[in-house]
Amino acid sequence: MSKKHSDRAQEGEQAQEGEQAQAGEQAQATEPDRDLYLRIFRVMALHRAVEDRMVSMYRQGEMLGSVYTGHWHEAIAVGSAAALRQDDFLCPIHRDLGAHLWRGMEPWQVMASFLGKATSPTGGRDGTLHYGRLDLGIYNLPSHIPDNYPVAIGGAFAFKYRSEDRVALAYCGDGSTSRGDFHEAVNIAAVLDLPCVFVVENNQFAYSTPLRLQSRTDFATKAVAYGIPGEKVDGTDVVAVYEATDRAVRRARAGEGPSLIECVTMRMHGHAEHDPADYVPREMFEEWSAKDPVELFGARLQELGFASAEDVAGMRDEARRIAIEARKKSLSDPMPVPDREEERVYA
Amino acid sequence: MPENDVTYLDAISQALMAEMEADDSVFLIGEDVGQFGGAFKVTKGFLEKFGERRVVDTPIAESGFTGLAAGAALNGLRPVVEYQFADFISTAWDQITNVIARHYYRTGDPMPITFRCPFGARLRAGPTHSQSIESYFAHTPGLKIVAPATVEDAAGLLRSAIRDNNPVLYLESKYLYRRIKAPGPLSLDLVPIGKARIAREGDRVTVVTYSASVHQAMEAAAVLAEEGISVEIVDVRTLVPLDIDTIVRSVEKTGRAVVLHEAPRRLGYGAEIAAEIQERCFWSLDQPVTRIAARNTPIPTSPPLEDAMLPSTTEVIDTVRKVATS
Repeated sequence: MSKKHSDRAQEGEQAQEGEQAQAGEQAQATEPDRDLYLRIFRVMALHRAVEDRMVSMYRQGEMLGSVYTGHWHEAIAVGSAAALRQDDFLCPIHRDLGAHLWRGMEPWQVMASFLGKATSPTGGRDGTLHYGRLDLGIYNLPSHIPDNYPVAIGGAFAFKYRSEDRVALAYCGDGSTSRGDFHEAVNIAAVLDLPCVFVVENNQFAYSTPLRLQSRTDFATKAVAYGIPGEKVDGTDVVAVYEATDRAVRRARAGEGPSLIECVTMRMHGHAEHDPADYVPREMFEEWSAKDPVELFGARLQELGFASAEDVAGMRDEARRIAIEARKKSLSDPMPVPDREEERVYA
Repeated sequence: MPENDVTYLDAISQALMAEMEADDSVFLIGEDVGQFGGAFKVTKGFLEKFGERRVVDTPIAESGFTGLAAGAALNGLRPVVEYQFADFISTAWDQITNVIARHYYRTGDPMPITFRCPFGARLRAGPTHSQSIESYFAHTPGLKIVAPATVEDAAGLLRSAIRDNNPVLYLESKYLYRRIKAPGPLSLDLVPIGKARIAREGDRVTVVTYSASVHQAMEAAAVLAEEGISVEIVDVRTLVPLDIDTIVRSVEKTGRAVVLHEAPRRLGYGAEIAAEIQERCFWSLDQPVTRIAARNTPIPTSPPLEDAMLPSTTEVIDTVRKVATS
């Protein structure tokens, strides 16, 4: 635990927008990896393009219900997922499309879920944001977040039980930290020393409820009370998220127990697309609009000499093309047909 | 008690031990299950035998360790979750209903979890240590619910529950723990989930019941037999899925049905059984299907109050006699 975090705990310091803490003494910048960074950028661009497409589908009345997006969460979703192995266990929430895409989820399947199609991962039995696939190591969560937190520690428990060096990673929002399942999961993981990484996506609002009504402290600070490492990073900086997650994952794999990472960003859309988010001060949107994680990483790739401006534009065009094709396929896919549904309730 | 006799509690313990010996993916998790051996000593000696890896003491966090069981089940393990008293399962309600019960229907991924729930009244334990929880969960698709009444069923149904690929609520009667016994050594044969048992044959009236109430029905039937009233007792053993065929066969034979349980009457599981009987056996019935259940109050602590709240054996005798002879 870095001294900075201990001080914070004493001060009860309120989270500041966009604040980026030093990662502590364990921080060590990794050498930029061109192939990895380009792959991360492609998935971040796809995350954005698929969600932009789904927003337009919502506006055209094509979706069953609302659409939940992760605009300005792309760096968190992809940066953290990129630090995992494919055999790790991922327990995402509704802002983490990029984490699904990183592990192999098809964009059209996600759209099919929002459309209630037979081709969605649940065959239309669940829908909208509930599209996890266990064959990709992705838990399909219910609506009651952070119910995925206790489930994640169960995956970590199974890995430790069999002496496997796999880890579990769970996401939740700032609002979810107020529920008992957050506390129970993090505390159990701490006392049982489970290989689990907890990511808190601090996006300033839980539906309409601002941070000041959610917590007197920031979220990395809460780790102190559980006796586990806590780290706060800029959630719009994908390299920062990747490196913080990589450190936490390495600790977990080495048998050094759970960690908590707070990633600070802004929810740039409403809770879902039906929500105009009138409760958000206009200045906040203006301020955060300069911190688009996809744009920021595109610029970084150019600074590093990993891609030209044309390359970056080309990757974003490719993402847009995939999203357009995904829309076509998902719209033309069949709806499910009720078929002995009562016989599907039990295994 | 003879040296070789096995109690209902021993049966649970032996079945659990047999399953843990047979399958390394089975583990036990809950509060005080390890070094303390469980609040009722069901798991006494388990920690010494299986170690901390498979006998896991947790913080007081029912929701947390229930969700842990879900994640472990999705990753190849077969958790047995102990709630110290069934009453405390309320704090894991969300994980059981929203995470676990509907997961298979939503995704096709099995959730092999057994929830051990010491439940029921008559121990002067009061409003929050005596509850019957079956109706809360019977309403939720995706859960199976078993409630053994005998020593043999306590063992056989627990083994079946642990081997089942679905979440199973195993309701163990803490009133029966040390009150009933069977000659040892105990058969640990599997008892299939979803099969009722004729606990006593008769031809005048059918009593449909489960768990500790089966023994009350047996007492009442013995008294009524002396009066020449022949009572058939169906021990349903499994509430979900309900073996309605066995119940229907009995009621078609006797033409009279009484449903008995110690849970409160309003929307108790007896209401479901009674509704099924009247829909399926209407033309065979000589009398309305009658329920005997607890009053619609919390379970009081003091003996005179608790006794007045629960069905008494006298009440069972009188009600069954009335239905049988009207």
